[in-house]
Amino acid sequence: MSVLLEMRENLKNIYNKHEVFITPVLKFLLAMVSLATINSTLGYMNKLNNPVIVIVVSLMCSFLPINFIIIVATLFVLGHLYAITLECALVALALFLLLYLLYFRFSPKDTLVVLLLPILFLLKIPYVIPIAMGLIATPASIVSVMCGVVIYYLIYYVETNATAISSLDSENAVAKIRYIIDGMLTNKAMLVAILAFSAVVIIVFLIRKLSVDHAWTVAMVVGAVTGVVVLLMGDLVFETNISILGVIIGTVISLLLVKVLQFFIFNVDYTRTEFAQFEDDEYFYYVKAIPKNTVSKTEKTVKKITNVGDTSSMK
Amino acid sequence: MDIFMLNEERIKLMTKMAAYEEHGGKKNITIGSFFRGDYIGLQVLKSVICATIAYAILFGMFIVYDFEVFMLDIYKMDLLGFGKKVFLYYFIFVAAYSLISYIVHSIRYNRAKKSLKKYNFNLKQLTTLYEMETKK
Repeated sequence: MSVLLEMRENLKNIYNKHEVFITPVLKFLLAMVSLATINSTLGYMNKLNNPVIVIVVSLMCSFLPINFIIIVATLFVLGHLYAITLECALVALALFLLLYLLYFRFSPKDTLVVLLLPILFLLKIPYVIPIAMGLIATPASIVSVMCGVVIYYLIYYVETNATAISSLDSENAVAKIRYIIDGMLTNKAMLVAILAFSAVVIIVFLIRKLSVDHAWTVAMVVGAVTGVVVLLMGDLVFETNISILGVIIGTVISLLLVKVLQFFIFNVDYTRTEFAQFEDDEYFYYVKAIPKNTVSKTEKTVKKITNVGDTSSMK
Repeated sequence: MDIFMLNEERIKLMTKMAAYEEHGGKKNITIGSFFRGDYIGLQVLKSVICATIAYAILFGMFIVYDFEVFMLDIYKMDLLGFGKKVFLYYFIFVAAYSLISYIVHSIRYNRAKKSLKKYNFNLKQLTTLYEMETKK
């Protein structure tokens, strides 16, 4: 354990020292993974699939606020959907606009959840997000989790039905829009996922708040089990055809990841980057003090020389 | 300037305040510069605008979704009644959203004011430290 703690301290120091470089690199990686995932899943617009574009856009994202990644990812999704049909892109645009207008105004920080959830869905470990949100956030984050689930299922639905959508009568735009909206509204798997993830967030949050020993670990495990149970119940009731083994393995991997997160991030006060040279009760300080260059002014003296008939002169 | 002239207490305070400003404090300072009514009023106004656009999108989607039925019924239906219904739903939607926005921003304003109290206390302390240094 001490080795791990030492390692954590070392990592913390490295992050503190090189935060200026590490944050853009992380942003770059996040942007690149997100865009590459979108391209590999949808990939209908050839221009966007170009790796050079992905790298250039990711580089841009690394220097801009993190919400810029969300905007770029949204544009990529819309671009690919537009390549299938205009109607697909219109439905997705309406959905994204509703999310931005109604929800992200309140909690712009939660947008990261909406970006990560679809990616983790594709990696079969989406259960990380509701457990982690239950641990670090409030039950209000359920809305973000729901948004993430809806966006994933929109992408998933369009991807699996792309040929059917594009083969519909090209002149009947209304039929295409109705087909997509119907597909979304009647998607039982999506509803079950929303229900399960909401339950996980609430249960993890409630248990984490309890003043019992190892509340965090207990919260994680109970939350994960709740998620599995709700998903399996949903499968029984609505026949959502989910892989039971997949859910269990995904949940176990998610639990391990959250445990690692807890160790590395939740214990580390990584957001503060003060450079300490001294310490007090609350903080370690890494202060970089740079004195200003000052040029002392040349003093002017006034000397009075009185001559006969003369007044004075100044030096 | 000599390094020994650095005042450790003052640096600690300034660092704390800078860290506060960096991590969300700036937002609180902006919120704190408003009167309660002005801040909440502005945010609710923004919410009304957002809700109106969102409602227009939803209404548009609804019309497009049922376009054929809508076009068939348009000559038969009571347009005035339909209009009234649309407006009634609009007002309910906007009122509900504005109410949520009002509650959220009231809580945010109170929190910001509370957290600014400590910041302002630090600011005062900093001023006192500066004054003491100048006297020296």
